[in-house]
Amino acid sequence: MKKNNKHRYVKQLEGEVKSGQTSRREFLRKSVLLGMSIPVAYGLTGLSMSESVFADNAKKGGNFRVSMRVQEMSDPALFEWSYPSNVARHVIEPLVQMGNDGLARPKLLESWQASDDLKTWTLNLRQNVTWSNGDEFIADDVIFNINRWLDPKTGSSMQSQLISLTHEVDTGEKNDDGSTKMSRVAMPGAVKRIDKHTVQLTLNKADIAIPEALSSFTALIVNRNFTGDFSSNPVGTGAFELVNIEVGVSAILKRRADGLYWGGDALLDQITYVDLGDDTSVDLAAYVSDQIDYSYQVSADQVQAYETIPFIELLSAKSATTGIARMNVTQKPFDDVRVRRAVALAVDNERVLTIGYQDLGSIAENHHVSPIHPEYAPLPKLSRNIDKAKALLAQAGYPNGIDLVIDCSASPSWQTNTCLAIADQVRAAGINLRVNIMPGGSYWDVWNTTPFGLTEWNHRPLGVQVLNLAYRTGAPWNETGYANPEFDRLLDQALTILDAKERSKVVLKLEKILQDDAVMVQPFWLNSYSAVNKRVKNVVLHPSFEHDFNKVWIDA
Amino acid sequence: MIQLIAKRLGIMVLTMLVVSIILFLALELNIESVAIKVLGPYSSDEQRQFWLEANGYTRPVLERYLSWAGNFMMGDFGESVRFRVPVSDILWDRLSNTLILAAATFGIMIPLSILLGILSGMKEGSFLDRVISLICIITTSIPEFASAVFLSAIFVFSLKWLPGTSSMLMGFDVMQLILPAMVLIGYGFGYVARMTRASMAEVMATHYIRTAVLKGLPYHKVIFKHALRNALIAPFTIIMLQINWLLSGVIVVEYAFAYKGFGALLLEASLNNDVYLIEACTMVAVCAAVLTQLIADIGYSYLNPRIRFS
Repeated sequence: MKKNNKHRYVKQLEGEVKSGQTSRREFLRKSVLLGMSIPVAYGLTGLSMSESVFADNAKKGGNFRVSMRVQEMSDPALFEWSYPSNVARHVIEPLVQMGNDGLARPKLLESWQASDDLKTWTLNLRQNVTWSNGDEFIADDVIFNINRWLDPKTGSSMQSQLISLTHEVDTGEKNDDGSTKMSRVAMPGAVKRIDKHTVQLTLNKADIAIPEALSSFTALIVNRNFTGDFSSNPVGTGAFELVNIEVGVSAILKRRADGLYWGGDALLDQITYVDLGDDTSVDLAAYVSDQIDYSYQVSADQVQAYETIPFIELLSAKSATTGIARMNVTQKPFDDVRVRRAVALAVDNERVLTIGYQDLGSIAENHHVSPIHPEYAPLPKLSRNIDKAKALLAQAGYPNGIDLVIDCSASPSWQTNTCLAIADQVRAAGINLRVNIMPGGSYWDVWNTTPFGLTEWNHRPLGVQVLNLAYRTGAPWNETGYANPEFDRLLDQALTILDAKERSKVVLKLEKILQDDAVMVQPFWLNSYSAVNKRVKNVVLHPSFEHDFNKVWIDA
Repeated sequence: MIQLIAKRLGIMVLTMLVVSIILFLALELNIESVAIKVLGPYSSDEQRQFWLEANGYTRPVLERYLSWAGNFMMGDFGESVRFRVPVSDILWDRLSNTLILAAATFGIMIPLSILLGILSGMKEGSFLDRVISLICIITTSIPEFASAVFLSAIFVFSLKWLPGTSSMLMGFDVMQLILPAMVLIGYGFGYVARMTRASMAEVMATHYIRTAVLKGLPYHKVIFKHALRNALIAPFTIIMLQINWLLSGVIVVEYAFAYKGFGALLLEASLNNDVYLIEACTMVAVCAAVLTQLIADIGYSYLNPRIRFS
């Protein structure tokens, strides 16, 4: 951001940080969101940057072998999991990238500017970016992508993250109940080309989370001539080229051969993603026999085992990653709030943390906003109440208890352990909970349709982002079927408040609504763990398990 | 013999026909379910209807079955939902991987188990018999997932002699084949050896063997010329069943060592509702089963000329 374009609120923030009213960390987050460059923001606070940098002795070459599920990756806008995104991110890049410190950084953008009312965002594109097919990266590429995300026919979760660029229109059809069928589409003029390298977003309401939304793993920018199958035509702006992908087996990326990567050549010759299946103990064997250098994730129950291997460095990061045992409020018996409350009341989250995750995380409060989110608002501590749970079940028509089934993924193992711990807890209230353990791939086929299931949600920097994705009426990733106009209204309001303290006052109400409606049992927040061979340098664990290996090198 | 083979081939074709009808009806009778599996749970009713019409699913069931069976015989198995490529592109690669593993296992397991079974059955109740029997019972009693862990702990984590996974990422590596083959051999050889031992012991107690010994034939001639051929009839059935098991029953081992074989593919297809891949894998597994049965029948008639299948 140019100095003379400094947002008025940044000037106010500078004053607040000097007087001690605002913390330096909070200043960093807000000022960067409003378009200030990261180095300048860090400079003003005196904090040190944690961004990975090239070392003087960095070596070029080598094949970096990473263990991760290799999934089908035809349309980046439809990614449902970060696995395909991690492969694709080395070929196609986002406009904004979330750093390991939780700050949004320009990637394909050079900078962005927000208007004083936060309703107009100007995106300034990098000017020296060339696609691997020789095209120049221009505003048309960005407009093509954003319009595609907003098109309901695409079905991308990005639409709900950029909801302030859309409005509802009459489709001319009727719903089953005879009401008018509405559809959400991009507002006319919401995405405008200013010039070849500038795009303007005009929102219908203020939204502070635009940069964060543009850093989502579904927000990778494809070429303006994208036809719907990235795997077969992997044109990108990134430092690597996708050479081969075999779903369920491997994906091979090689350093871009034309030498035209805008950020300078990557150091690695090749990145090889290898799919070793759902069983994470296989990773451990692969490390020991030097078949992999890095793995997507180390499960908590294997942390101690990894610590015993001398040539492995265990990486960890605090995160807002979590598992929610969510109930679909549109399906029986969970359409009765008394049943949901009974389930929630019967669970002692602290106990589940101990059994399910060996106390390696922190307790959560059944509302999906983390203490590390800037707008988190503390609520009174939850307490287990078996008598009340029984009474609620009796009122709901289950005086002799109820039989329920919860679906969960077999891997990572904490998910199974958590469900078993919940099943053990709720038994005292007369709830006979059967745990249906499904291998990873199959759970993701039912994650948004199963009546009761444990879903892992990745870290996101803002609490309102998660609430917007998962609990807003009709959002593509709203797996609970939750629909509450009051919740939506408050969420809209929260999304317009830049100041985290002020926003937390609204978020407190949102948290309370979710707790009262007992949409989920959310026992704990996870710490993120991974492991890397010590000969590999500059690998930093991202709280969302995002991969960017452009600056990674191997000390052979 | 030709009549026997022709008859068996006829039964094989009939079996496959029946299985194919059951399979088709089980997976494709409900066309709405097929559309959801192919297009995913997010697909709209319009998308599903369009897809069903475009792919001929609105035709009568019989017509669809005949078309499906015709395509199948021509090697067109459809496109995998999970892998987004023609099923045949994955199937044969994975099957050949499993065949390599099966061949390595079979090549060691069968001679070893027959040898130990004969040694054991030649002198029933001897010290050697008891030692071999004990080893066989122990190895066969340990499930594959447990022996995979034990062997990995020894050869990967402690001795560091062998690679811990068998993904063959950098091309075929015989070292990566050793651990999965060891697990399979350990699990399977005891069973075959015990069957061989029982059969051998039974033959050794017959009058014609006693006569052969009493008339002064060298012992090795008694064993190889008279006892062995008869003693192998019963184990032959078990050996034939091992082929089926090695092709489609080694899911646990392939999963434990990340070996990209047919068993792991079948598991992945099932877990992901990959309807066309399930159909192809099932038909291949059935084909292998009936083929081994055919070989077994021919083998029987060779080993025991008294057996006539008229």
